[in-house]
Amino acid sequence: MKNRLKLLRTERGWTQEQLGQALGVSRQAVNALETEKHDPSLDLAYRIAVLFARPVEDIFENPHG
Amino acid sequence: MLALGKSTTLAHRRYVIRTMAFMAGYAAVNVAAIFGAFDNIRSPVAAWLLALAVSAPVAGQMWATLSLMKESDEFVRSLTAKQFIVSAGIAMALFSTWGFGESYAGAPHAPGWLVYPLFWGVYGCVAPFIRTSR
Repeated sequence: MKNRLKLLRTERGWTQEQLGQALGVSRQAVNALETEKHDPSLDLAYRIAVLFARPVEDIFENPHG
Repeated sequence: MLALGKSTTLAHRRYVIRTMAFMAGYAAVNVAAIFGAFDNIRSPVAAWLLALAVSAPVAGQMWATLSLMKESDEFVRSLTAKQFIVSAGIAMALFSTWGFGESYAGAPHAPGWLVYPLFWGVYGCVAPFIRTSR
């Protein structure tokens, strides 16, 4: 799923490891999200949205519309 | 999957330790058997207990894998499940093919326990190519 996660993370100067710790997931999971190898669950998408204080659709492109 | 690199998670480290422990048990009993440690077993009960003892680490390994999935995040969980299913499917298909080869084509007999090392051999070959959870 296309997303702006890498951009948002680097804007804040965070590493994948740091973002993973903030979200409670592994660095591998953050990398998989950034490289579109994993579509997040609704729960994880909302956790990311809360962390960056943005709506989910600002971060993840809606593939259905 | 067995690498203990710098960026591995705690769940992954626990998985590697558990896997090594179960593999060591499995290998130790088999090496002992190869060197004749159990050649004098005559009782069928003792022989079946030995068979169960060798197979127990296989069940232990399944527990270690399920524990890894339980203790990991959703990506690692999905990836592990996908790698496991593909490897198990290929190993079962290959071993079934061989079994039918024995029945219909006179292929030499392969003992059933070979399916376990076959599974890990397949796992080692396919896991590096399964990198997405989709």
